[in-house]
Parts: sequence; structure tokens; C-alpha cells
Amino acid sequence: MKPRLPAVRPPTFRGRLHDARTATSIGRWLGAAIAVCFGTGLVSHYLQHPPGWLADDLPSRPLWGYRLTQGLHVATGIAAIPLLLAKLWTVYPRLFAWPPVRSVRHALERLSVAVLVAGAVFELFTGLLNTVQWYPWPFSFVPVHFAVAWLLAGALLMHIAVKYPEIKAHWSRDSPGTLTLPAADGPDRRSLLTGVAAAVGAVTLTTVGQSLTPLKAFDLLAPRHPDHGPQALPVNRTAVAAGVTQVDLSAYQLTVVGPTPYTLTLDELAALTQHESVLPIACVEGWSKSAHWTGVRMTDLLHRAGAPPDARVRVVSLERYGAYRVMEMGREYAHDPLTLLALRLNGRVLTPDHGYPARIIAPNRPGVLQTKWVSRLEVL
Amino acid sequence: MRTALMTKTRTALMRTLSTRSALGAAGLAMMVLGGVLLWGQATHWDVLIWLAGAVVLHDGLIAPLVLGVGLLLGGLKNRGLPRGALLTVGCLVLIALPLLLRPLPTANSSVLPLNYVRGLLICLAVVAALAGMIGAVRWGRGKVNNRKFNGG
Repeated sequence: MKPRLPAVRPPTFRGRLHDARTATSIGRWLGAAIAVCFGTGLVSHYLQHPPGWLADDLPSRPLWGYRLTQGLHVATGIAAIPLLLAKLWTVYPRLFAWPPVRSVRHALERLSVAVLVAGAVFELFTGLLNTVQWYPWPFSFVPVHFAVAWLLAGALLMHIAVKYPEIKAHWSRDSPGTLTLPAADGPDRRSLLTGVAAAVGAVTLTTVGQSLTPLKAFDLLAPRHPDHGPQALPVNRTAVAAGVTQVDLSAYQLTVVGPTPYTLTLDELAALTQHESVLPIACVEGWSKSAHWTGVRMTDLLHRAGAPPDARVRVVSLERYGAYRVMEMGREYAHDPLTLLALRLNGRVLTPDHGYPARIIAPNRPGVLQTKWVSRLEVL
Repeated sequence: MRTALMTKTRTALMRTLSTRSALGAAGLAMMVLGGVLLWGQATHWDVLIWLAGAVVLHDGLIAPLVLGVGLLLGGLKNRGLPRGALLTVGCLVLIALPLLLRPLPTANSSVLPLNYVRGLLICLAVVAALAGMIGAVRWGRGKVNNRKFNGG
């Protein structure tokens, strides 16, 4: 007699709310969150790595633009964590669909869902770890997070196209599909959605203070706090990390290269007309804070060098290492009256970690492009 | 009249189908672009392993864990409140894990400047207190309603 193995059966789910109405209710919020993350991510990417044809047209206003988009990017990413978990919980029984593959079409559909799930979990996971500057993976974060974002956004559009009839049939409480579901589940579903909303509210409230500074009192679980840092402003790259502490700053000179080149000592820079700008430092990792900066207007420095009114600028830092040692500034930023070569922060001389002796501060730009320890400007 | 209605329905159907196809095609194009960008990375095999790992992490670990807790809660009569509280607590713990587990030191003292064990405990205590208060109010209200019902 042939020994009979026990048949392998997929698990069955008797629990409630693994239905299309619940999936639609949570899914549209998750979809909106992913759309915001994708859009703001693209903005950040092209502000940091503008293609040549775009560089001169990037706007320097609104001055809080990048602060808003990148703050939203990280906040919606964090808010998407409860939404994603709830959505995946709702549709989890479908993982065990039997037979696993019914047709070519079904196989492709499941494959696209696999890409969707993998991409969503991957993006939220790598993004969250990036905010604490933790990179335990063997690939570089920026290009991979960017590539998988396209994969995820594409898989999401595909998913919406495939599920369109089901989404439509369960869109509202009175939609035909919703009405076929047991009415007794209604209150339980609303209670689940309230729970998900509470979780979204909790993770948002305890982290968003790192960029939405009026809520900083609730900032308990964000990797940054607006009040922690030298001169009460967080920093990313310190003078030690940039190798600037090894440079002899007593001989500091700013060199400006252009039609009429010149050099200025720090005293001469401080003797030029000083202007004040209130501008935020907004980091790609999501934190931001506004500050009072005092220094020389970039337009004044360019004018003195005889630069044409549509000139771009290359800014070179004293830092020894780092991908952002040399930064280029498009026309809009270079000629914005708020753009400064700042010498002071909140009324006091810059500390080394904030870029002493002189740093760039420009409106609507990612923090990594607010070059510190500036030693040279080149009119382009 | 009838033909006009049929034509209208058919046009609407065709429009839906073409919108769906356009959406699907756009999605496919974006996925191809993402794939090409990914393949351009020297480490694309590592990324694929991590992508697969993301699915395994959720489907093999997080989901069964949540379902297990759900099974324990399933028998409760008013499961909504404890479910919402556990969901909130779970998500707070999840976003706190990178803060707590990241190897030290950080790049400077303004990265992870707070005491996150303390922060997480405060958050969990607040959620527990709020859930307890809501539960107590509901319980009290239910008692009053019952008395009214029984008395009337």
C-alpha cells in the first residue's frame, strides 16, 4: 500500500473584514499617500540632481517650497506605514488563493501585486532607515530608492487599472458591491478604520514636529528635534567629518572668479553691506527649521565680479571629502535677493559645524546644496 | 430610444476600458523604467534579494504575528477599542525600532538627540490611558442605557 501524505492545504480565514470594501477604504488613502511620496520624491530628486536644461529654470520661490515638499515626503511615508499594514492585512487571505495560478492573466496579475507589495514595503523600510542615517544594505540608497519608486508607482497604477471594477463597486457605503456584503460588518469596519486613523495620527503627531516646528512639543519619536544642535539648529555634516578642522582658517580668503576677479578676507567680507534673510534649512531626511541668517547678498558679490545678469555660479567648499564639495547654483537662486553668503546665524558668528567662516543659504533648496565653508565662487 | 441608450452605455464602457488600458499601460511603462534604472545599478541582485526579503518579512513574519494577536482578540465582544489601541501601539513600536536599534555613534549629536526609550514609553502610556478612558466612558454609558432600557 502506498503511504499517503497528508494533503497540503492553504489556511482558511474565517475572520471578518478581509473584503473589497475594507480594501478600497484603506487602499485609497494608501494610494494617495504613495502618490504624494512619489511626487514630492521626484521634486526632491530633480532639485538635487537637475538635468542641464532644467538647472537655470528651477524656481527659488516659494522660499518654503522644499521645506514643504520634503516634510510631506517623510511625513506621508511614515503615515503610510499603518495604512500599508492595514491594507495588507485586509487582502492577506488572497496570498493563499487556490489554485495559486489559474491562467496566464492571473499569473501576471499576481506578479504585479508581488512587485507592488515588495516595492511598498521596501520603500517605506529604506526611507525610514534613511531618516536615522542607517544603511545596513549593500547598495547605495539614493539611486535604488529612486528606481524602486518608479517600480512601485507603476505597479500601483497597474493595480488600480486591474482592480478598477472592484474599486468602483465598493467606493462608497451605498455602492452596489458594498451592498452585497453583510450589513452586520458595517460598524466593525468603521471601528477598524477608526483604529487605522488613530495609528496614522499617532505616528504622525510623534514625528512631524521635526519639520512642523509648532508641534515640536510632541516630537518624541523623530530622529531630529528642532531645538537640538549647535546654535539650536540641527546639522548633518560636521566640520570634523568634512575635514575642515585641519584647514588653517586664519589665512581664509574668499576668491571670486569672473570677468573682474577679486579676493576678500573675512574682515573685508564683514565690512560689505550685510543683509538678513529668514530662511529654512530643509534636509532630504525630512527635518527642517527656519533661522535668521546675516551676510552678503550673492547678487552683490556677482555684481562686483562683473557677472552678467543671467550668470550661474559654481560654489566650492573648503571641505576635503564629500560629494557636495562643489555645488552649482542656477540663475534663479543666484540672483534671488534672499540668497546670501552668510556669516552669522541668529545674530551670532557661525559655529564650525554651521560652516564658519561663510556659508551659502538660498531659498527653496535641499540642505545638502546649502554649501558650508565656502572658499570660492566661480561665475559661469 | 433603446438604441440610443445602448450606444450611450457602450460609449461609457469603451471610455472606461480605454481609461483602464491607458492607466495600465502607463503603469507598465513606469515599471519598465524602474526596472531599467534598477538594472543600471551594479548591485541589482542585492536589491532583488532585499525586495524579496521585504515580502518575506511582511508575509512570513509581521502578518502571521498580527493574525495571531487577532485570533486571541477575536472572541472579545467589543474588540474595536483594544484592536485600535494595539494597532496604534504596534505602529508606534515599529517606527521607534530604527531609533532604538541603530548602531551608535551617529554622525553628530543632533542626530537621534532624544531619549527614545523614554519617548516610546510616554507614547504607549498615553495610548493606554486614552483607550482606558474611552473604554470607561463607553462602559458607563452602556450601563446608563441599560438601566433606562430596563426601567422604561
